[in-house]
Amino acid sequence: MPQIPTNWSGIFTDSERKQSYLRRVRELDKNIGSFLSFNLDLTGSETTEKGFLGGLPIAVKDNIAVSDQPLTCGSRILENLVSPYTATAVQRLEDAGAVVVGKTNLDEFGMGSSNENSALGTTVNPWDYNRVPGGSSGGSAAAVAAGLVPLALGSDTGGSVRQPANFCGVYGLKPTYGSVSRFGLTAYASSLEVIGTLTRDIDLMETAFEVMSGIDEYDQSSVGSEVSGVPDSDASRVVMLSVDNNMLDNPVARAYKETGEALRAEGYSVSEISLPTLDLVVPAYYTIATAEASANLARFNGIRYGYAPDFSENPSDLMKKARHEGFGREVKLRILLGTYVLRSGFQDQYYGRAQKIRTLIKNELASVFSTADLLLMPVFPTQAFSKGDSEMDDYKQRIADVFTCLANLSGLPALSLPVGVENGLPTGVQFMAPSFGEKRLFKVARNLQDRFPLQIPPNYLDIGGLV
Amino acid sequence: MKVHDKYDVFIGLEIHIHLNTESKMFCSCKANYGDESNMNVCPVCLGYPGTLPRLNEKAMELGYLVAKSLGCKIAEKTSFARKNYFYPDMPKNYQISQFEEPVGVEGLVEAEFGISESRKIRIHDVHLEEDAGKMIHAGDITLLDYNRAGYPLLEIVTEPDLRSGEETESFLRDFQRLVRYLGVSDANMDEGSMKCDANVSLNHPGKGLGIKVELKNMNSPRFVRLALNHEIARHAGILDAGGSLVQETRLWNENRDITEIMRRKEAADDYRYFPEPDMPSFVPDNDFLARVEAGLVELPLDKKRRLQTEYSLTPEQAEFIHDDAATAVFFEESVKAGADAQNAASWLSSDIQKLLNRSSLSLDASPLDARRFSTLLGLIKEGQISGKIAKKVLEKIFSDNLDPQDIVDKEGWLQISNPEELATIIKKVMMENPDVVSAVKAGDMRQKGFLIGQVMRNSDGKAAPELSGSILDKLLGTNA
Repeated sequence: MPQIPTNWSGIFTDSERKQSYLRRVRELDKNIGSFLSFNLDLTGSETTEKGFLGGLPIAVKDNIAVSDQPLTCGSRILENLVSPYTATAVQRLEDAGAVVVGKTNLDEFGMGSSNENSALGTTVNPWDYNRVPGGSSGGSAAAVAAGLVPLALGSDTGGSVRQPANFCGVYGLKPTYGSVSRFGLTAYASSLEVIGTLTRDIDLMETAFEVMSGIDEYDQSSVGSEVSGVPDSDASRVVMLSVDNNMLDNPVARAYKETGEALRAEGYSVSEISLPTLDLVVPAYYTIATAEASANLARFNGIRYGYAPDFSENPSDLMKKARHEGFGREVKLRILLGTYVLRSGFQDQYYGRAQKIRTLIKNELASVFSTADLLLMPVFPTQAFSKGDSEMDDYKQRIADVFTCLANLSGLPALSLPVGVENGLPTGVQFMAPSFGEKRLFKVARNLQDRFPLQIPPNYLDIGGLV
Repeated sequence: MKVHDKYDVFIGLEIHIHLNTESKMFCSCKANYGDESNMNVCPVCLGYPGTLPRLNEKAMELGYLVAKSLGCKIAEKTSFARKNYFYPDMPKNYQISQFEEPVGVEGLVEAEFGISESRKIRIHDVHLEEDAGKMIHAGDITLLDYNRAGYPLLEIVTEPDLRSGEETESFLRDFQRLVRYLGVSDANMDEGSMKCDANVSLNHPGKGLGIKVELKNMNSPRFVRLALNHEIARHAGILDAGGSLVQETRLWNENRDITEIMRRKEAADDYRYFPEPDMPSFVPDNDFLARVEAGLVELPLDKKRRLQTEYSLTPEQAEFIHDDAATAVFFEESVKAGADAQNAASWLSSDIQKLLNRSSLSLDASPLDARRFSTLLGLIKEGQISGKIAKKVLEKIFSDNLDPQDIVDKEGWLQISNPEELATIIKKVMMENPDVVSAVKAGDMRQKGFLIGQVMRNSDGKAAPELSGSILDKLLGTNA
């Protein structure tokens, strides 16, 4: 079992170090805005460094439940919610000794890829404060990139771990659907999403994944490890998605090409393939995601918890006002879309067809993996874009999800990793593996580590000094 | 001309029952009715963000049991769906229900209407779902109690095969009996553990279904009958006058004995069903199916018929005995222990029922068991006690929880059947009532009863009645 990075141990047993950690995070995060809440004080002096993750500070995306901590989901409607329970994945990390120090910013309910859809705060990219950190797990990505925590949890519904990891230059894992319990993850699109991790350290990522994964009686869609029969050895056959040149920005295209070359140099066989279903990925994804979201977000009605208007005529009026005033624009749009595609008489045309496409995509990927061990793809067509970038309007951001959504529609694991820095911004790629093939992903990432060493944003090079 | 001669009447039902499980449908909260408000709740049944449903397999088992008993095709694979609609007492604003793959479909159940008619009623489907919370309006505020939220519900949907309020009431009582026999639900409509909505339509003969009206708010099988008959008459009136019905939902007003409009249905409700992504399909394994099989019982109607043939009970007696499964078991055990079936049936429906009512006990919980009961009937048969004494013994069993033989011994209630002893008492009565004796001897036989009464009184009711009568006759010289 890999050890945790030594420079992070001892924060919670040495009160001086704890104070200095606290001060530094507060100071640095003023610039980045990665945390919506930071609770080091709450973790108290009773914290010892038991367990093999002995006192490892971790950040948790604020759509994942941690008992007695806020669970805002980046939304006005849950701004005041304190969670009464802890997500299974978090509980397992805590049981192993990790300490949740705070909750990170996100696009409201995970809907967005820039963190600009958060109703409760602005997070910027530690590489360039004028740029977005990506999303929706942008707060987690920024906190890890800046070295505020060695490990952060995110959730990946359509790329929400991998894309911000890519924008911020850290590793981002979207595990196999069902391998990590969703219990405690605020549902956006239940059949697509999974809790993932962001870190600068591939060994820590593997450790965290092993701790978090496994069957959970509280999540009936969780799957036990006995299903994972995929051997991690000899994963040497890589297929590379052939991508039109005009689809990728130049730095991204260059990084992608270089990765292919690096793999060959490392002894991998690399061939190109095209996926005929690729054009259908985004429409299918948004149909299924919004349909499920329309039901998943129906529970937020201002009655049992969360935002409620000061006055309402009756319970129905209360629900209407709470939702009208509590949800942001993008959330409302997706709820409306989802409601539309589920209408009776239209289900065959939209939801039903999207599910058929999903099956098609699964089958296509199954056939890809019948002759290959890993699929290499870009993560996102651009590097981190500018805040308020009119070039990257909502529609373009959604289209750009094509490479990441594939893993969510198919349920397969995918890992995004940084492969360099160009124009002062990180670039990266992602690997996808068959179900429960996470070990292959960690291995290929490790094999590329020397060629593409992880870089740290210039302002945050003194990571050792932080703690 | 009667309504049924002029029109075909179609009645279909949607019956909901609360299942008798210890915990709720999708979480481990107690499924307990009537606890203090909001005591049996947790993040799951309150719909907190991030929570997920966990199937209560016991509820699934009970669902299969009912589906099977209603002659349904049993699902080899059953799954859940989300039924989307907003309502303030529904924590998630969608109900986890079953849509495409319910536990049972296409059932067929025999129903008896009155003594001579029996028909098969088709069951459309049997499916599981969760209940919502309860809204309580108090002045200008609304309170919500979520104890009921997530309570396991079973919905049974019939085809429109019933024809009158009477048939429907009878069908509902049969159904209540069935689920009580199975032990799956209390099925009390007044307590809310069973609910029944009905849809009714009338049409000219042979024309098929008419425009249907949905009826709600009927809190007993009797109210279902009244509401349906009211509605049938209303429809007939409209059709007689050449008018046409409007598809709508109406509420039964039990204070005014009428139905009142609740809402018009412009279009069908769109619940936007889609498969529940949080719940994998359920595929029953052999152990599960064996448990279901083991839970099956003799259907009430079969039992009723068997009671008539096997024990020569009258339809009325059989009706009474089979109404409650515990009574039927008690009856059969008593007969097995030697009790006469006819006597047992009549005692059960009269004196025992009276005592149970008075003590508010169920037969199960009462001090009377089949052994004591058959002993008691045996004492009468053997002439050891009279029927009158037997009633006193029965009361003693209830009050003192003793065996009948012990009571009779202790109280000295053994019948006097020694002719000499009886003659002594009768002579004494004759001495004390010379006028009556003369009257009887003069031919006024009606007065003989008075003398027998006096004999009974003088013997504390212990004199064997028949023997006393013949001795009296002998002494009076009035041999009958």
